[in-house]
Amino acid sequence: MAIETETDSSSGRDPERPKGYVVGSAPADAERELSHDEFDPVGTLTVILVYFLILVGMWVFMYFVEFLGNELTVVG
Amino acid sequence: MATYVDRYPDEAGVVKATFAVAFAALGVGALFGLVQALHRTGYLRVIDSTDYYTVLTGHGVLLALVFTIFFLLGLFTWAITRSLERPLPNIKLTWAWFGLTTTGAVFAAVAIVAGLFPSLDMSADVLYTFYAPLQAHPLFYVGLAMFIIGTWIAGVDWFLAYREWRADNPDERIPLQAFMVLTTTLMWYLSTLGVAVSVVVFLIPWSLGFIDTVNPLLTRTLFWYFGHPVVYFWLMPAYMMWYTVLPKLAGGRLFSDPLARVVFVLFLLLSTPVGIHHQYLDPGIAEGFKFIAMTNTMFLLLPSLLTAFTVVASMEHGARQRGGEGYLSWLGALPWRDPAFTGMALAGIMFAAGGFSGMINAGMNINYLVHNTLWVPGHFHLTVGTAVALTMMAGSYWLVPQLTGRRLYSRPIALFQVVLWFVGMVFMSNAMHRAGLLGIPRRTAEPQYQSFDFSATVGSVSELRIQMAVGATLLFVSVVLFLFNVLLSAIEDPIEMPVDDSLPAPLSGADGSPVVLDNLRLWTAIAVVLVVLAYSLPLASIVTDGGLFGESGAFPVFVDAVYRVAGVVA
Ligand code: HEM
Ligand SMILES: [Cu+2]
Repeated sequence: MAIETETDSSSGRDPERPKGYVVGSAPADAERELSHDEFDPVGTLTVILVYFLILVGMWVFMYFVEFLGNELTVVG
Repeated sequence: MATYVDRYPDEAGVVKATFAVAFAALGVGALFGLVQALHRTGYLRVIDSTDYYTVLTGHGVLLALVFTIFFLLGLFTWAITRSLERPLPNIKLTWAWFGLTTTGAVFAAVAIVAGLFPSLDMSADVLYTFYAPLQAHPLFYVGLAMFIIGTWIAGVDWFLAYREWRADNPDERIPLQAFMVLTTTLMWYLSTLGVAVSVVVFLIPWSLGFIDTVNPLLTRTLFWYFGHPVVYFWLMPAYMMWYTVLPKLAGGRLFSDPLARVVFVLFLLLSTPVGIHHQYLDPGIAEGFKFIAMTNTMFLLLPSLLTAFTVVASMEHGARQRGGEGYLSWLGALPWRDPAFTGMALAGIMFAAGGFSGMINAGMNINYLVHNTLWVPGHFHLTVGTAVALTMMAGSYWLVPQLTGRRLYSRPIALFQVVLWFVGMVFMSNAMHRAGLLGIPRRTAEPQYQSFDFSATVGSVSELRIQMAVGATLLFVSVVLFLFNVLLSAIEDPIEMPVDDSLPAPLSGADGSPVVLDNLRLWTAIAVVLVVLAYSLPLASIVTDGGLFGESGAFPVFVDAVYRVAGVVA
């Protein structure tokens, strides 16, 4: 009854792996195994640096728009 | 090769039941959310403004307490059986806590919804924070008490399973998911103590008329003693899925098991002694205590940042195994067509944005700028409303097939649904944050004052209103699609392998990490000490000033003694 039945990401290399329409079957088409020592998370570092830059940008924006641009919001 | 329901049919039944309660609450709560968003922006008014608090209370309680915690109960039951590889010791006990929590939740919901029917003479318009001086019908508080006690029994259930496992495996490390369940449960015991005292000792007798007054600041403080840690009971189920399921969905493995344990221990230690940061503007609490709460709060950023690193690194591991390259282009190698993956990843992105507004809330001085404005719901619709709720919905696309043995009805609809939530929330929360900066208040049906105009530096107030209404509508449609998809999945024909439910081992396992991480007694003891340090003096001074039961000024002897001890220590 499901409205879609074709195989998408499970290539069926592993006979133990479910075939057909499944959620969570990503690893079937893995191209290589990376162990702990081979894996260097530079991408993670990049993503975190980008986030950090956005944070700094937002703080600066807050400072100009909210503090320099407005009267005092809370008094006493 | 069998899935969860084949291995643990009884437990799967309980988990399905908790999810059913959670999803029912999600549906009704989302409807209330739409009603109030359209009401306060003035686009469609189906209720009277005087009923706004009823709807808002229903929204807050059903979503922030019922939906999230019932999902947690189900997820943790699934996780403890799955990771300890044994059924629960006594399924009758399991059904007993399910019955108690559900009855309690229904009582509370009935008391709230009755407020819409004047003839019933019952209401509970006290918002999900339910502290005095707002007063609800006793049924509401009794329901809450039953609910809390039910969750305590659930915790006992999980600990009993753990004890049996420990007897069979005296020297093994606690499996990661079980570790997460147990630390979170300890945190829950510690923090619900505050709200249980508030409800049972003060609010129930007060609503029944046995006592005339309560000390409002005391019930507020006891609520927030629980009200901050409760955000971690929203988050921990999401974190559990980010740590243990998301890496697998991404095609990789968890980067580090010990790091995940450290994060959960840090939450156990640090999440309760910070609740006063919700009371920066409460008179009656000295600035010094508020400052201490702020410092503790800043320490809490640490486990969140560790989580950001570990989870992103685990996704990157998956992407690189699937052929991803470069500094950022590996992101393209992630399985963006899998709704479970995409939903969780989008939830994580929203959480990063929520981290920004959270840091603003946490700062004592800058908090004054946004306190009680729409900024605050803007913030927590990114955190609990998206990081948590979207992760739970996305996770369900992977979990429900394991619980039913049936495949998901439609993956394209699921994918559309999670993206729709993301887009809807971009509109709604962006508008709420900005409206808050203009000073537009939260929790009101009529957010405008006579002869006063809010003026925007960027954009306009009517643009913000449109964004809020459009965002709210998209969110509601998204919930409807989710419920529809899950419901239809439940009536699919059973198939042998509905889902790929294997979880790969972490890249760096628990074996090499310090054994002290698994010493739950030690961490609990430290957590208790921290709570006593953070709360005994503020509570003593609140009771001294306002009396244990309000005006009466009862039990001064006790408080004097506390002060004398404090004086000696200092
Ligand atoms: C259809 C989706 C949703 C819509 C349209 C929506 C809309 C809103 C709006 C407009 C408010 C502010 C009302 C006011 O302050 O006047 C609000 C408050 C709130 N929302 Fe949502 N929301 C949605 C989903 C969620 C979810 C998923 C959660 C949590 C899991 C949540 C938790 C809350 C809480 C705790 C409040 C504060 C209640 C209070 O102030 O007592 N909402 N929501
Ligand atoms: Cu908090």
